[in-house]
Amino acid sequence: MQKRDVVIIGGGPAGLAAAAELKKRGVDDILIIEREKQLGGILRQCIHDGFGLTRFGQTLSGPEYSQRFIDQVKEMQIEVLTNATVIDLTDDKIVTADTRDGLLQVQARAIILTMGCRERTRGALAIPGQRPSGIYNAGVAQSYMNLYNTMVGKEIIIMGSGDIGLIMARRMTLEGAHVKAVFEVLPYPSGLPRNIEQCLNDYNIPLYLSHSVINIKGDTRIEGVTVAEVGPDMKPIPGTEKDFTCDTLVLSVGLIPENELSLAAGVTLDGRTKGAFVDENFQTDVPGVFAAGNVLHVHDLVDFVSLEAEALAAGVNEYLNSDEVAPCDIEIETDRNIGHIIPQKVSGEKNFRMSMRVRKPMGRCKIIVSQGDNTVKSTIVPNAIPAEMIQFDVAADKIMSNEKIEVSVYEQ
Amino acid sequence: MGTQYDIVVIGGGVVGSAVARELSRYQLKICVLEKELDVCNGVSGRNTGLLHSGILHEKNLLRTECCMEGNAEFEQVASELDVPFKRCGKLIVGFGEEEKKRLEGLYQRGLENEIPGIKMIDHDEIKSLDPNIDGDFAIYVPSAGILCPFTYTIALAENAVENGAEYYFDHEVTGVEKDEEGLFHISTNGGEFVTRWVVNCAGLYAFRISEMLGFEAYVPNRIKGEYEILDKKAGNFLSMPVYPTPNESGAFDVHVTPTIDGNVLVGPTIETIGTKIDYAVTQKMIDVLVEQGSRMFSRMNRDYYIRNYVGVFPTIEDPETHKEMDFQIQTKESAPHAVNLVCINSPGLTSALPLARRVVEKVKAQEELTANEKFNPIRKGIVKFADQDEEGKQRLIEQDPDYGEIYCRCECVTRAEVKQALHNVLGVSTISGVKYRTRASMGRCQGGYCETRLTQMVQEELGKQKEEILLNKNGAYMFTGEVK
Amino acid sequence: MNSRTFVCIVCPNGCTIETQYEGDKILSVTGNKCKKGIEYVRQELIDPRRTISSTVRIEGAELPLCSVRLTNVIPKKDIFRVMEEINKIKLTAPVSIGQVVIKNVCGLDSDVIVTKNMG
Repeated sequence: MQKRDVVIIGGGPAGLAAAAELKKRGVDDILIIEREKQLGGILRQCIHDGFGLTRFGQTLSGPEYSQRFIDQVKEMQIEVLTNATVIDLTDDKIVTADTRDGLLQVQARAIILTMGCRERTRGALAIPGQRPSGIYNAGVAQSYMNLYNTMVGKEIIIMGSGDIGLIMARRMTLEGAHVKAVFEVLPYPSGLPRNIEQCLNDYNIPLYLSHSVINIKGDTRIEGVTVAEVGPDMKPIPGTEKDFTCDTLVLSVGLIPENELSLAAGVTLDGRTKGAFVDENFQTDVPGVFAAGNVLHVHDLVDFVSLEAEALAAGVNEYLNSDEVAPCDIEIETDRNIGHIIPQKVSGEKNFRMSMRVRKPMGRCKIIVSQGDNTVKSTIVPNAIPAEMIQFDVAADKIMSNEKIEVSVYEQ
Repeated sequence: MGTQYDIVVIGGGVVGSAVARELSRYQLKICVLEKELDVCNGVSGRNTGLLHSGILHEKNLLRTECCMEGNAEFEQVASELDVPFKRCGKLIVGFGEEEKKRLEGLYQRGLENEIPGIKMIDHDEIKSLDPNIDGDFAIYVPSAGILCPFTYTIALAENAVENGAEYYFDHEVTGVEKDEEGLFHISTNGGEFVTRWVVNCAGLYAFRISEMLGFEAYVPNRIKGEYEILDKKAGNFLSMPVYPTPNESGAFDVHVTPTIDGNVLVGPTIETIGTKIDYAVTQKMIDVLVEQGSRMFSRMNRDYYIRNYVGVFPTIEDPETHKEMDFQIQTKESAPHAVNLVCINSPGLTSALPLARRVVEKVKAQEELTANEKFNPIRKGIVKFADQDEEGKQRLIEQDPDYGEIYCRCECVTRAEVKQALHNVLGVSTISGVKYRTRASMGRCQGGYCETRLTQMVQEELGKQKEEILLNKNGAYMFTGEVK
Repeated sequence: MNSRTFVCIVCPNGCTIETQYEGDKILSVTGNKCKKGIEYVRQELIDPRRTISSTVRIEGAELPLCSVRLTNVIPKKDIFRVMEEINKIKLTAPVSIGQVVIKNVCGLDSDVIVTKNMG
């Protein structure tokens, strides 16, 4: 069996950034395993621009953004195995991958989980109706259109206002399809405001908030949907049903971190993020197994994925040097306004970055991080919305004890 | 006019395919006419996937007789046809005195039917069988089992074809005429078929074919049942099917069943829909599934939802008794050489081969059949990468490097399996056809990862244009063309 | 005097900017986190501009399409005219990021460039 210091599962933005940063920190024995034939992960199909403003101060398309990391990885001669799918991972860090050259088994000292996420499907939502063809998840439609030159339809209804759905509304319009409307079950958009503006408003595509698709019609190809307004309980309001014809229904209804391998390795998942519980080093509760990027929690900007993976590399390096990281026993708890938070545990010895999302749009807010009566951090967010991840740094010297840390959001 | 057949089987469901397979033991020119683009598209593919024991129906019914015969022989069938199956047993659980009475009635019937090994067990015995199952008491039916209806029907059809039978998909029977020589002229949207014998295995449409053949004009009173499929993660918590005590009208409410592939099925709900065929999932029944399903299976959880589906069962009411009619295998003097199977619903999957043998007997009663000496009962399925241990996996990749490329991550299906599925002996080329042969896209991401690969491969391997790729039926096109 | 609300698309912050203006003269701006917001609003009032991304056919590469984008924003009203030009392009591998596919597309002072290394 091969032995490696680090095996990185997934060669998307998180995996690539982690690899390059590890190498910079002097870790040499790294293997990236990627299931696609090319590196880059989901960015391969994200041909729109807007990537890299934070990281490079430039607005790039997805493939350009990822190429910068791919180039680094190549220059640093980090070993990459593409077209290889990891099919098993054990808690003692043995990776099994399926490759055309045979079953590959590697014993790693540290594992980095950067598998990304998948889309929530029609089935997961249990949308009533028939089961015709022509129902696509937004990311699948994106892959068909941007990679495989395949047009999925012409008369489009979009359910959900997630960013990929918005991006696809514009993309399909530019390529000659007619996007009739976007329906969002929540009273506010799930995607970023700038995408509502430049992907929907620019092309006069109506967005209906508090609306849901309640029936799908079509015996063979989809012929239409029934949409209804929903009340505060998210249930359809009788009498508000409206029929729309379409030949395609695109779903952009959320992303789920892809953690099947993490579970195989015995990693405990947080029901809120659907990703691992991690400490400030991004180490999961299985020693030596680390996670970052969308497999940990779904990001809205790839720039933050890269930054998170780079921060992870520091923790991995520390682990490789001493076979452990400083114990992280301080639990982080949140109030009800917060959907989730990363990390969930810290040592109190290191500065760290906190990432969180609010549950509902809250406008101008004050976020207070406290330990008992001691305020560890207080910060103002001008406009807190669930679509945008909120990040801020917390200084270790403000953490006074091993008592739990509480994070609260107050509307201003 | 084309070839003349000895026997035409109408309907490529599990029964039609079993009939074709059993007939292929003889020197006969056989074909199966199927209106859909693949086998197992009607009743056969929309049920619970259970190998029934025979406890659910009264003794002396053809249903019960065929079911018990089919149940008893299934180890052999499964090994001949390479169909995964598990005799996992089943529990019919109850709570309280009222249910106990009803359950004891059912237990008595089980004893009368001589269902092997059935036992009344108490709460502790239930828990020792499966700690996740709850009940004050239960009937334990050890002979019940689970199998995949698609795999089984495909296996029967492939074995029939390997032994000389032909399948015509996209051939809907529109009329049957008989000439002076007694030959049947069957009209379809794909041309006329001339045959000496006809077997009606048309499932939901059997009543219509029955009329065409000159048998009774039945009026279907169909039952619709909705199901929810749960993630394999839920499958870890259920070792055998769990039924509630039958309700006062003797019907079973929602039950939970592990599938042979490791998922959990919740359902069916029961709704009488008369002459309609309606495959739409409804919010109302989704709510029923959640409510009743959670009672049967405490692990039921929204996070586990993968997909919903609907089964429609071809029930016919006996006009005299108003009870559900028994399985019918009819012949009649005025229509010799026609065998009419109607009202074949549950337990049709378990009963398929016993029914097929009875059809053969009907033919034999009128003419002598010569054995097909080349008949081979053995059919091999696609070797599944996911089912192998490490050594087995390694060996497969060495034999065919396409086993080294995972196409469906959720179900761990490789390129090699998809390729084999696309070159199936039945000539099926739909995306659902690949799915039912490999399980690609049947997992939690529902094709999010593999569907682009599957459709790409249909283009590469079968030379199809994008617009020609179909999900499952004519008209169910996947794409409108190219972007550029 | 008119007032209008803009959502700035310059960066992911997506600031909501309240503006009061008279013709193309801006009287007041609130809600922007940076100066780029004022510039954005000014541009939106006189001549809204956008950049676009798309794909073009490519021969001899693993995949049939290569991604492209504009190097500079173009007037919103010209987007579909530029798309027509992009749709005419066929590339042959190899191509690399930054390679100009159409120089000064439609005379709009923006180039169409390749955004993916292929072949």
